[in-house]
Amino acid sequence: MNRNTFRVVAGSLLILVSGWLMAADDGREPFDDRYCTTCHGTDGQGNEGVQAPRLAGMEDWYLKRQLENFRAGIRGTHPMDVEGIAMQPMAAKLSDESIADIVEWVGSWPFKPAEVTVEGDAQAGAQLYTTCASCHGRDASGNEALGAPALLGQNDWYLVTQLKNFMAGYRGYHADDTYGQQMRPMAQMLGDEAGIINVVSYINSLAER
Amino acid sequence: MAGFVTRREFLNLLGTTGGTAATLRAGAALGLLPGTAASANLDLLNLAGNSRKVAILGGGISGLTVAYELGKRGYDCEILEASHRCGGRIFTVRHGDLIDEIGNRQYCEFDDEPHMYFNAGAARIPSTHRNLLAYCKELGVELEIFINENKTSLVQDDAMLGGKPIRNIDYTTNMRGFMAELMAKAMTAEEMNSPFSESEAETLLGMIRDFGDLSEDDVYRGSFRAGYAEGGFLKHGVQNDMIAFRDLLQTRLGRQLMGANEGDTGPILLQPKGGMDKIIEGFLRQVGDRVKYRAMVAGVQVRDNGVEISYDQDGVRHTMQADYCFNCIPTHLMVGIDHNFPSDYVRAMKYVRRGEAYKAAFQARTRFWEDMDIYGGISWMNNPSRQIWYPTAGIHQQKGVVLGAYDYGGGMYHTKMTQAERIEAHLSDGEKLHPDYRNLVEKPITIAWHRMNHMLGCSARWQRSFGRGWTHEEEELYHRLQQPVNGRHYFIGDQVSMHSAWQESAVMSAQWAMSDLDQRVRAETA
Repeated sequence: MNRNTFRVVAGSLLILVSGWLMAADDGREPFDDRYCTTCHGTDGQGNEGVQAPRLAGMEDWYLKRQLENFRAGIRGTHPMDVEGIAMQPMAAKLSDESIADIVEWVGSWPFKPAEVTVEGDAQAGAQLYTTCASCHGRDASGNEALGAPALLGQNDWYLVTQLKNFMAGYRGYHADDTYGQQMRPMAQMLGDEAGIINVVSYINSLAER
Repeated sequence: MAGFVTRREFLNLLGTTGGTAATLRAGAALGLLPGTAASANLDLLNLAGNSRKVAILGGGISGLTVAYELGKRGYDCEILEASHRCGGRIFTVRHGDLIDEIGNRQYCEFDDEPHMYFNAGAARIPSTHRNLLAYCKELGVELEIFINENKTSLVQDDAMLGGKPIRNIDYTTNMRGFMAELMAKAMTAEEMNSPFSESEAETLLGMIRDFGDLSEDDVYRGSFRAGYAEGGFLKHGVQNDMIAFRDLLQTRLGRQLMGANEGDTGPILLQPKGGMDKIIEGFLRQVGDRVKYRAMVAGVQVRDNGVEISYDQDGVRHTMQADYCFNCIPTHLMVGIDHNFPSDYVRAMKYVRRGEAYKAAFQARTRFWEDMDIYGGISWMNNPSRQIWYPTAGIHQQKGVVLGAYDYGGGMYHTKMTQAERIEAHLSDGEKLHPDYRNLVEKPITIAWHRMNHMLGCSARWQRSFGRGWTHEEEELYHRLQQPVNGRHYFIGDQVSMHSAWQESAVMSAQWAMSDLDQRVRAETA
């Protein structure tokens, strides 16, 4: 083999090798964006172990709005919002198609009311809830026209965390989070942590009726 | 006979100075009392055709251990693994591999060479981790020595010597010298009243002098142990300048530097040739056909006569009936999976916190550390990236993979950053050790265990107040989680150990659970 022939053979080998590499690239481990259940539990029932709330039964419009808020960084970027900070980067890279796919997937999960873990003075909570009822409904089933999600059946520990976050300004701090901004002064009306526990206990009691 | 101490007298002497614990340990060393028993082969009953179905949830090393051992005894084992790979936190990253961090998916772009790998989780095997090592031997996993401490590697702290990096050996030699000088001075003052005989005191003083390489007058004046400023081979060596005691005290890294060869990193450390996951490959050669991948557990129901598992695979929910279930799913994820566990068991599951450890690595364009006489080992920085590890593998090859950050204590500092912010942080931290670092490394990867899909955490943390030991409550919760539910469901993995983050703990937790099951099976079949 003279030198020129060698070059030709070596050259075609190189082409072959790079072709193979591209095929290897194509053969990389595939993925999709349906990783919600890692954190949010079986059928999105919520996981207290990682403080990830129930998605099953969540309204599609509310879920979409929150995923978009997380993606835009108008929720889950306050340094004190520990759980929100965990969620925000997971939503940051979602495409509109992925969000639509997730919302549809979540919609396929059966609704089961969450386990009761918070116990306070439900009667005192009933008084406080009258304010909440105007948007979230007397039966806490939510009101799409007002942009207020259902509270009934949600993990009670999650409701407590979110009310605390609204109260402290860790959620609803961003000017573009229209509904969150509305919610902030509402949460103030609960007064303190005891008020939060009581109102959540009242919401729990609605499930039993 | 004057000047001689009997073995019994020596023990008494130690007893008066160090308490009973000291006597017991010394006794074992002298061969009077039994030490820890050598690792015994698992004595498990062979079912001999009387097959029983075992569901193993999670293909981590504890799950694989169960599949391997029970499989040998005639159990019909099946492993459900949620992700695309087995091994869990035994994760070696190579060319083309997916790093499945939720929200920050990465593919590794290292060159495709055998030595271009990164052990993103488990990376060291102490020679005393005999159960794990026994499996390496049995499964034909080739091992090599892992270089952990390296005296020619660097130490850097902005607070010390104007931030100039120094050699580990310069720090430790000088620090030992000064410490020895302090001890020697204290020794001579205390000698008269001490409980030691003159000969014992001399032995002790001799050790102190050698420990610090003191001059005859018990003063530290520098040492050739730190190497030569010049010469040393064909000409007399010229001693390196001493570093002032006070300068050394400006960094707190000394705590790590002086203890680098203690505890779990005290014994000789080993690693599998070609990556830690060679151990996983070894297990999979035996039980690989028993694994279902991308099979995510959706429910575990413990019944009187078995365990019912439901899992999702290819968009379909399946059920599996098993006689027994061994579960190495992290407890914090199991909380969110349907189950019917008793409340005290769930309480223990919820108590465990998830670890936050974080690692990052770069491909180095050249093995620049070898030009500095550094072959393997760790350089220390007092900044959030903390460490740079130089690879033991691939000596004198063109390129290598360096660990660019390892936050083993916290990790959320980097975890909360974007990928670009993480990389920039490690580059600017690394520049403090190697000024041209930014140009020497490329193709970064980061592993934030707290966000890895199907794991969401590094090793389990049982202790709320770290460093103050286990509370009584924590011990009770731990023992509850170790016990099976109904003799049918066992949690396994390093999460069910008092020494998490080591493969040995995961293996031993599996062995404990299998031995417990074995007793029940023997009782049944008796």
